[in-house]
Amino acid sequence: MRETEYAYAVARIRSNEVSLLTSADMEQLMAASDYAAAVRILADKGWDIPEKGEKFDIAERELSKAWELIAESAPDASLLEALVIGNDFFNVKAAVKCVFSDREPSECYVYPCITDTELITKAVTENDFDILPEFLAKPALEAYEAVSKRESGQLAEIIIDKAALEARIEYAGKAASGLLLRIAELYAAAANIKTALRCRKTGKSRDFALEAMCGCKTDNGELYANAGSTDSMAEYLLTTEYAFLSDSVKKGFTAFEKQCDNSVVSWLESAKYETFGPDPLVAYYYAKQAESKNVRIILSAKASGIPAQAITERVRDIYV
Amino acid sequence: MENLGIVFALIGAAAAAIFAGMGSAKGVGLVGQAGAGVVTEDPSKFGKVLILQILPGTQGLYGFLAAILVLLQVGIIGGSFEPISVASGLLYFGACLPIAVVGYFSGISQGKAAAAGVSIIAKKPEQSGKAITMAVMVETYAVLALLVSLLSIISVGKLGV
Repeated sequence: MRETEYAYAVARIRSNEVSLLTSADMEQLMAASDYAAAVRILADKGWDIPEKGEKFDIAERELSKAWELIAESAPDASLLEALVIGNDFFNVKAAVKCVFSDREPSECYVYPCITDTELITKAVTENDFDILPEFLAKPALEAYEAVSKRESGQLAEIIIDKAALEARIEYAGKAASGLLLRIAELYAAAANIKTALRCRKTGKSRDFALEAMCGCKTDNGELYANAGSTDSMAEYLLTTEYAFLSDSVKKGFTAFEKQCDNSVVSWLESAKYETFGPDPLVAYYYAKQAESKNVRIILSAKASGIPAQAITERVRDIYV
Repeated sequence: MENLGIVFALIGAAAAAIFAGMGSAKGVGLVGQAGAGVVTEDPSKFGKVLILQILPGTQGLYGFLAAILVLLQVGIIGGSFEPISVASGLLYFGACLPIAVVGYFSGISQGKAAAAGVSIIAKKPEQSGKAITMAVMVETYAVLALLVSLLSIISVGKLGV
């Protein structure tokens, strides 16, 4: 696809970028006296807020709107499905867990996603995975069997998470967006780093760890070998293209995940100056995702009365 | 073969109209796509977007002008048609090339510059003047090519070859 075919979509995205929350807006949210005050600020910024009797996740609704905009304006939205495909896998995981614990799966689903969640519920409850799209059917069946035959929720989780990361890389490759592929590779590498550290900490075997890690640019054998401590992992990362994650890995998973998200936001900067191609759409979605994460963190903190200072430590950098 | 000269002159005129027109069509179309994106979100920006969309359209007019001038010079328009020499025909053909080639590429380039300017209007409509100025800069080269083509076409008639 020629880059100029994105002219319409990029212009629509640029028009919507003006309504992204700024750093000043985030500070205003953090300084809000309580949850209700924070929600009022969001309502003033044009966010959908639940009316009386309504119940929905404010941040998730905003992210779904961003995906709808991208899907509506992109010349071929299927090329950008890598942006949301992770949620489809999450939904399958949620459905499998809910079905075996007698819970209603619809309460656990996340949006936006590609596959109809009712179809996922039907596939899992009726044990008929052929009705799912090809990319979901095999991991969904394997995860279901892991729980039903081997009674291993952990194995089911590993199967789904690994398939999700690999699918994201595969789908990102179709989009002809270097930015999207780079982000997908980063999140896959970050997941492998965390898996290696967790496996070594809990005494899991090398084979188990390698089975759990997804295929991406990382040398998984080396990751496992250097995962004895966060210091050795940090030292090893310095020799790889993920050297920028080295410092944060020593500070714990929260800091590590924050560094990953902040790195993604810094990569999005280049897309601000692109007029054509899929990158501005990708940047907008990830900007909205970072914004939604921050709003979710702030609202949760406000709901439980956590002070503004503690919120600041967790809040991610933003695109604007 | 006595009409070979006029054939070359006509090919030149056609090239000027076709290629400069293609450049403009591509440029205007591209800005139109970007403009539609902005207007979808904010219809009040239509006026500012329209100015940018018009800009890459001038190359097509320049090509048309050069083509008409050649047709007048060789007498196809005006009814005073007389066969011209092959050398004269080739000279007309060559005279048309600047606006044909530069018109094509500058039309597309100006379209891209103007489409980028549409993004400025989307985010900072008060800066639309700068977006227009940047797109207009590309016009310089189309105007220079038009001048060379026009002066050459006029001069060929006076050479007497």
